[in-house]
Amino acid sequence: MFGRLTVIAAAAIAVTGCSQDSSRDYMKIVGSSTVYPFSTAVAEAMVNANPSLKTPVIESTGTGGGMKLFCNGVGVQHPDIEDASRRMTPGEFQTCTQNGVDGIMEIQVGMDGVAFAESKKGPKLELTRADIYRALAANPMGKQQTAKFWNDVNPKLPHTPIQVFGPPSTSGTRDALAELILAKGCKEVDPQAAKLEESDKDAFKDRCQRIREDGAYVDKGENDNIIVQNLTVSPNAIGIFGYSYLEENRDRLNGVPVNGVEPTYANIADRSYPGARPLFIYVKKQHLNAVPGMKQFLHEYTQMWDPDGPLVAKGMIAAPADIRQQSERIIDQGTTITAETLADDELH
Amino acid sequence: MNNPPAPDAGAPRRPTDWRGTAMQRRIRRRYAAERRFRLIGLGAVVLSAGFLAFLLITMLSNGIAGFTRTEVTLPIDFRAAQLDVTPQQLESRGADLALAGAGLEELVERSATAAFGAHGPDVISPHAWTGVRDALKDDPSLLNRKAAISVPVSQDLKSALDGAGKPEMQAIAAKLKQHDMIGSSFDFGFLMSADSTDPTDVGIWGAVKGSLFTMLVTLAIAFPIGVLSAVYLEEYARKNRWTDLIEVSINNLAAVPSIIFGLLGLAVFLSFMNLPRSASLVGGLTLALMIMPVIVIASRNAIKAVPPSIRDAALGVGASKVQVIFHHVLPLALPGILTGTIIGMARALGETAPLLMIGMRAFIAQPPEGLTDPATVLPVQIFLWSDQISRGFVERTSAAIIVLLLFLLAMNALAIYLRNRFETRW
Repeated sequence: MFGRLTVIAAAAIAVTGCSQDSSRDYMKIVGSSTVYPFSTAVAEAMVNANPSLKTPVIESTGTGGGMKLFCNGVGVQHPDIEDASRRMTPGEFQTCTQNGVDGIMEIQVGMDGVAFAESKKGPKLELTRADIYRALAANPMGKQQTAKFWNDVNPKLPHTPIQVFGPPSTSGTRDALAELILAKGCKEVDPQAAKLEESDKDAFKDRCQRIREDGAYVDKGENDNIIVQNLTVSPNAIGIFGYSYLEENRDRLNGVPVNGVEPTYANIADRSYPGARPLFIYVKKQHLNAVPGMKQFLHEYTQMWDPDGPLVAKGMIAAPADIRQQSERIIDQGTTITAETLADDELH
Repeated sequence: MNNPPAPDAGAPRRPTDWRGTAMQRRIRRRYAAERRFRLIGLGAVVLSAGFLAFLLITMLSNGIAGFTRTEVTLPIDFRAAQLDVTPQQLESRGADLALAGAGLEELVERSATAAFGAHGPDVISPHAWTGVRDALKDDPSLLNRKAAISVPVSQDLKSALDGAGKPEMQAIAAKLKQHDMIGSSFDFGFLMSADSTDPTDVGIWGAVKGSLFTMLVTLAIAFPIGVLSAVYLEEYARKNRWTDLIEVSINNLAAVPSIIFGLLGLAVFLSFMNLPRSASLVGGLTLALMIMPVIVIASRNAIKAVPPSIRDAALGVGASKVQVIFHHVLPLALPGILTGTIIGMARALGETAPLLMIGMRAFIAQPPEGLTDPATVLPVQIFLWSDQISRGFVERTSAAIIVLLLFLLAMNALAIYLRNRFETRW
């Protein structure tokens, strides 16, 4: 018996010793948990249309975690495509270039909104970006955060405790919250913020984007369903997650209007909702011909992202027509991004 | 000496008056204390049994539906549709390719519209056509006739059948029920396929296979290394400061949170050894690191419990040290070693956190073929499904939990069987 076990152990160690084979016949995709359901749906449709291809392996790591893996290098052990719920930052682009990843295609596949929601039994809050900034920032206007109730930040709001369930710092939704809501709310109420943004980026981040850590904002991990469940049992709390979760749970949750605009499909699609944000995939051009299926995958995305397409049925919001055309052009021509296009603050 | 002086030294000692009121009260108090203690103990058992029953009942009531599949009979006229495939093509290996190009998906959608009205395509699962494809491959003669094929219904219709969801779907559901076109059957697909994006089409087999591969690697690494370390520490190592240090370290390692082993696996196996991400091989190695201390501790205790007289007797009749260990000590210690190993393996089977770090939190739609293929495991699959947007995944998640619990139950039953089988008492 022990003899046999030794043989098994030796075999296992032998397997461990041999290195990875030099080619890969399936795609590797990493990144945002918001884009994950759409990429998996596209992957599945691609395999159904091309049965000879293997299903891609899609890992949901959060946008930031995925960027690290994506930018780590070129080769079989590195992912081919990154799902992102925000744009690549100049810093991430630099890491990519340093590691030999040059030639990255940036394709906007759709839109999503950072939705604020409360239980149907909730106090029917209506917030502005400034209210949210005053309630959630760690140092609003450079002072210690002391607000405990919503009427502490704005006398018109009800006297209910500030309790917010939201995404962790690795999440693209959290980045979008900081960029689209907190930073803008900060600039609205704090005259020094704009000056600070020019002179001292770190101080600006600390003043405008850092979220309080005294328990009023609860980080619920990457699992958005947990936030939904928590909202149904604590009616005074507010949840922050991707719009598709609000859409799927309309019978239990109400969207909280921000600056008077409800989080609805139409409002996010025409960008009138302040929390609207683009969803991207980043493609390594160097892998495009080496890994089978990548071209078909991109083609399948273009087939599915229309306003009446299957991705919208899955909860995505279609990008405007001109952006869809532009993305198709990027796929056709293989246009890659440069540091300048990324620095261009104008979203597509 | 120090004996306390007797109260009435000299006076004759009277027998205790058991019937006196003071004595009776003391006796009552003693009995009450006994009863109280027994009730607290019983309460603890009832409380934990209650939690367990709550878990099992919610899982079972949610999960049973996850094992069934609701079907609707869909009439399809293949003959009129004139699909651009020949029966010969269907028998060859390119059948999937030929059918994908022949517009089968559109035909299924058209047939659904014809049968159920304008909302027809929403009635059937978006993957219904793959079921039709498999039916065609099984029986190419279908191409020349009309046929009624049972296909899975969509998540929308499923919730409409339960009395929720969109009004137009509820109307269709009522009509279909009236005509008795809805049936449900045990979903073999759930046990045989892998992950998917649609709750009507998912399966658990990919995750089960991934778990089996991972456990195999874990066992092959952790068991021999763990047992050998225990034998060396108990039978050969001298007792000194170094072995004390090792003992403390092993006990510490057994209590280290599992996520730390995930980080270790990430650093050693992925970054340093360049093994493939998401593979069950790496998962198994990482979990082996995690349960090795548990095996070492259990094995050392089992070896320690073998009476020294047995070793002495064997040495006395001329056995070598290796013979003593393999012929006497290990067989006697085996039940303890195996119990420890299986409990460690059960812990590894239920572990999620370290596997997230090494990339097993992924959408993997085909079961792994080998140790280096991308794979996921049961608890991670449960974690992934619990995060899905579509509510149809709730019952699938519970069904997957039931499968995991059955696995754990089987492993623990094996542990008890092995213990009883090999146990020797003296």
